[in-house]
Amino acid sequence: MRWLFDFLNSSIGKKVTVGLAGLLLCGFLLTHLAGNLILFAGQAKFNAYAEFLEKNPLLPALEIGLAALFLIHIIVTLYARWQNWQARPVSYEMTVSKGGRTWGSRTMTYTAFLLLGFIILHVATLKYGLATSFTEDEVFQRVMTFLKSPWMAGFYVLTMAGLGLHLSHGFESAFQTLGVNHPKYTPVIKAAGILFAVAVAGTFAVIPLWAYWQGGLK
Amino acid sequence: MNLTLRVWRQKGPKEKGHFETYQVQDVTPEMSFFEALDKVNEELITAGREPIAFDHDCREGICGTCSLTINGQPHGPDEAATGCQLHLRAFKSGDTITIEPFRARAFPVIKDLVIDRSALDRVMTAGGFVSVNTGSAAEANSILVPKDKSDAAMDAAACIGCGACVAACPNASAMLFVSAKVSHFALLPQGKPERDRRVLAMQKQMDLEGFGNCSNESECEAVCPKEIKVCNIARMNREFLRAIFWSKE
Ligand code: HEM
Ligand code: FES
Repeated sequence: MRWLFDFLNSSIGKKVTVGLAGLLLCGFLLTHLAGNLILFAGQAKFNAYAEFLEKNPLLPALEIGLAALFLIHIIVTLYARWQNWQARPVSYEMTVSKGGRTWGSRTMTYTAFLLLGFIILHVATLKYGLATSFTEDEVFQRVMTFLKSPWMAGFYVLTMAGLGLHLSHGFESAFQTLGVNHPKYTPVIKAAGILFAVAVAGTFAVIPLWAYWQGGLK
Repeated sequence: MNLTLRVWRQKGPKEKGHFETYQVQDVTPEMSFFEALDKVNEELITAGREPIAFDHDCREGICGTCSLTINGQPHGPDEAATGCQLHLRAFKSGDTITIEPFRARAFPVIKDLVIDRSALDRVMTAGGFVSVNTGSAAEANSILVPKDKSDAAMDAAACIGCGACVAACPNASAMLFVSAKVSHFALLPQGKPERDRRVLAMQKQMDLEGFGNCSNESECEAVCPKEIKVCNIARMNREFLRAIFWSKE
């Protein structure tokens, strides 16, 4: 098993691990987004969906898997970034890009911390009801009450912008790391990455805007 | 034209470095950038001061010895060119130009702008070769190489090992260099027998030397004087995954 340890500890192995976890998290985003869109179908439908999820005996296992994906993605990246930071002890006085980096790739660390902060707040409040004054048990009511606040709705929209940036680099980068680079497919993967980032982040962002304009529950 | 040069001066590997400013008067746009440095050095020597140490050899972009970061860009502002191929016509009279060494933990400064790049040599020693028995040369057509493969291998072999990829990488990763070397063997039939052992050994040595981890920023590709492409990095990733999961190594 030594080879497996060597792999996970190698620079390429770390990247492959992060990339695979990231692609699976993209899958989670799609299912989560699809579920959230049921909000627009109204209170009854959304609460029925939430109840269906909560009653599902597989949910705890899925949640553990999801938490594991997030933790692997974050911890391995932090370890790699720490090594990268050490790899240049004396920094340049002047650095001018020749055009390799993108807005997405440049801001990966910042958007990552924004997303991490968001997830902690998001799960603590909407899922566990911490630091909130929810009197309602129902998920629909909770979401609407929560996003009535311009601060919260604003923070959600800001996070979605960060998510879009993060995905705009992460998606294509994961393929490159897994060795998928081909003159026929790479342009398609790059375009698909941008499309995925804009579409997923954009659609997510509609939800807090919509909820805010609804003014909570009437 | 007249230029102001801000040059990194560092007495030795353990010494703390700093910037010093020099004025270069009456140089012409057709002079090379290194000739301007020569001029400064001649004046420093005449004045009895220590000249600026900087690496150069061929001064025509083929040896990979020069290693200057010029105005924040390894090898300076020209596309697909080394620092020694840069001319003063890239600047305007009155410009201030900042000159630093290539910076990475794996490339310690020896003096001023001279760095130690033997880390790259050790990566090559670990696996960047093909083992063949000596004897008379084999018949050239006994192993056929498809044209597209030999072209791709030649493109990778164009790497002169200057280390600009490491210098430009926000993570100080050496992936473009190592992947070019892995690729030029992996693409050719002669390199195939040792491909698994080679990629594992070179990647291991690369990590031991203290380079950072690649995060696909592609700054390496943008500064490479030989236009080595990041598709080589993807190929190295494939070679590595193949060696780890399919080979018995
Ligand atoms: C407008 C955007 C979003 C809304 C309205 C929303 C809403 C929700 C709701 C209602 C829940 C379930 C609470 C429960 O079951 O009690 C949830 C869970 C969760 N959300 Fe979101 N979400 C949004 C965006 C995001 C984004 C962008 C991410 C990730 C980057 C994310 C990550 C999570 C996670 C990790 C959970 C916990 C899953 C679980 O353990 O069940 N959410 N979200
Ligand atoms: S001195 Fe030979 S490449 Fe610049």
